[in-house]
Amino acid sequence: MKKLISFLRSMKFGIILLALIAACSAVGTLIEQGQEVSYYAANYTSIHGILIKTGLTDIYHSWYFLALLALLCLNLTLCSIVRIKSVVKADKTALETSAVVPALVKLNSDGVAELEKFLADKKCKASSVGESRVYSRRRIGRYGTFITHVAILLTVIFGALALYLPKTTDMTCFPNEYVVAQDGSKIYVDSFRIEDAEGNLDFTSEIRVVKPNGKTSLPTEISVNHPMTFGSLKVYQQTYGTAGSVTARVIDTGVEDVFIMDEVSFLSIDGVNGLWYEAVYPGYVKDEEGNITLITSTQGSYVDPIYEVQLSSEGEYTPVLAFPGDKLEINGIEFEFNAPVEYPGLRIKYTPEIVNALLIAAFSLMIAGLYITFFMPPVLVKTDSTGYTVCGPKTEQLKLELKLLLQDYEAAEEIQEEEKEE
Amino acid sequence: MNILFFAVLALYFAAVLLQFAGVMFKKDKVAKIAWFVFIAAFAGNSIYILIRGIVAHRLPLSNQFEFATAFAWGIALLLVVLKAKKHSDWLATITMPAAFLVLSYAALQPKEITELMPALRSAWFGLHIGSAVFSYSAFVLAGCAGLRRILTAKKKEENHELKLQQMDFLSYRLIGFGFLLLTVVILSGAIWAEQAWSAFWTWDPKEVWALITWIIYAVYLHLRLRGKKDGNFLAWYVILAVPVVLFTFAGVNTLMSGLHSYG
Ligand code: HEM
Repeated sequence: MKKLISFLRSMKFGIILLALIAACSAVGTLIEQGQEVSYYAANYTSIHGILIKTGLTDIYHSWYFLALLALLCLNLTLCSIVRIKSVVKADKTALETSAVVPALVKLNSDGVAELEKFLADKKCKASSVGESRVYSRRRIGRYGTFITHVAILLTVIFGALALYLPKTTDMTCFPNEYVVAQDGSKIYVDSFRIEDAEGNLDFTSEIRVVKPNGKTSLPTEISVNHPMTFGSLKVYQQTYGTAGSVTARVIDTGVEDVFIMDEVSFLSIDGVNGLWYEAVYPGYVKDEEGNITLITSTQGSYVDPIYEVQLSSEGEYTPVLAFPGDKLEINGIEFEFNAPVEYPGLRIKYTPEIVNALLIAAFSLMIAGLYITFFMPPVLVKTDSTGYTVCGPKTEQLKLELKLLLQDYEAAEEIQEEEKEE
Repeated sequence: MNILFFAVLALYFAAVLLQFAGVMFKKDKVAKIAWFVFIAAFAGNSIYILIRGIVAHRLPLSNQFEFATAFAWGIALLLVVLKAKKHSDWLATITMPAAFLVLSYAALQPKEITELMPALRSAWFGLHIGSAVFSYSAFVLAGCAGLRRILTAKKKEENHELKLQQMDFLSYRLIGFGFLLLTVVILSGAIWAEQAWSAFWTWDPKEVWALITWIIYAVYLHLRLRGKKDGNFLAWYVILAVPVVLFTFAGVNTLMSGLHSYG
């Protein structure tokens, strides 16, 4: 049992886990992930069954990948708990323990003076303990790896929450209408545009959110990279589209209504006579004989919009191409074609607010931990009249530095010392 | 613009040739000239990036060509900094060709300035990609230091052990620096992805390969700490990690499809 635990918290086990996670991740980029069964049947004919059964087609959600991550968390937790105790203890007793070690590198007296000047210039705190002097600085450096590991652990945990807790849906909404979000909030789209004033692609909506309890957000512009956050809702400007707009007017009474359509629709009062709306296209090309070829797709706004419709009269269909401003009349109803309407595709994400905040805190902690680890190594040097010893963890840089600095002062009988990590 | 680019490429190439000649025939003067030519190439490289940024009105880091140009520049910059700190007279012979090869890769890419797609217009763009430039450059230099160590290990020079230790330590320092920055790349990328696409992490191939690279260097750091592997092993390790970095940089975009396929 003891053996098992000591393996579970060992760096060796950690390295094995990391290697396995990397290997699985690589496999996941070689096999297309999360496709339909038919995709695998077509591309991996004979082995597709095995691929699916072994989870290789959705490896990042397979039980063994999640198990590896869980084991990594366990490993990191155990090793961090065990190590932090000894790190704190070593830090607390650093002065006493380093004072009593013998001077491993022997120097002549000029060398010692040079060294002490060097350490004082480095703003080390000097303390005299008996015959020895101990120079120390940047104790925080001892905690860099601990902070890093805790941050990694928290990142995995909060990251998993941030990936699996949110509920995300995509919706389209015509300007001046609203959609209802997962939590019952209403999202009003007050306006939308695909291009900015200079004609650059820059799709932007102006929206307001009204919570079920009546709390209302300020009107806010959203665009790609600039979602709106309101409590636990986040609204993204995701895509955009262009819909046809037709005003139908009863000629006798003057009663009219505007219809905005992004799919085939039939506008009719009696169900027989009326207008079949097919689509609106971004533009067209006219050749010398006056034949029109439709342009079916564009990136930005529609430049020369053109409607494709059919008039239905007593069971007879007449295809018609119409332009904004055109009017068609059928059985006492007038259909007027308006400029098409640009509308946004919104992505609405609902997450507990705290999760994102915690995750970003863990990110920051990781960066801080790594910075401390690599750029703030602690300094702990014991000197006496015969020479010096570099003590504590992470001594490599200082040892090399001092060795180069003091080469000329070294006394003959230098004691070789094994590199030793705490 | 293109003339300046190819002039820079030619200067790097000249520096490489001169440096090789200087080292082979043990002519210090030639090596010194090589260094001046290299500095000229580096200066030209910097000016090219600057001009491109001014013309494009944005950070010139948005496609393979621009990134590779900055990558070569980053390698050159690190070499200049290390040389200024007197670390690396011995690193130039290996690093100069690395800078040249990366810029040659850039030369093969389409060079027009294109407008940024909306997803790239973000404050995170600079941090995310800028960190990647320096991170990858540091990893390449660490690999160069590893290669140099392997080549040196056979010769018995004065102060042999200390030199080997220095090379190993330089690799380590560079990897520490690169690792910190790669962490910045991944985490800033995650925050950005959440702003742009709503999820912090989507297992997109580019993300995954950045993670694999990160893990590979994390394993290096731990193997080195455990102290059970000797310097030669670690040197081979940092050399063999470089192709993974290059794959993450270029291979993923060319061979796999995903959200990061910007061209
Ligand atoms: C998830 C990935 C991990 C990362 C990114 C990571 C990162 C680091 C870093 C940057 C260092 C400092 C290296 C140096 O000073 O040269 C370190 C040290 C260390 N790591 Fe990890 N680590 C990870 C996982 C683990 C795991 C799973 C263990 C399991 C036991 C572990 C155990 C240790 C130990 C014992 C040290 C030495 C601590 C010290 O010097 O104070 N690490 N790690």
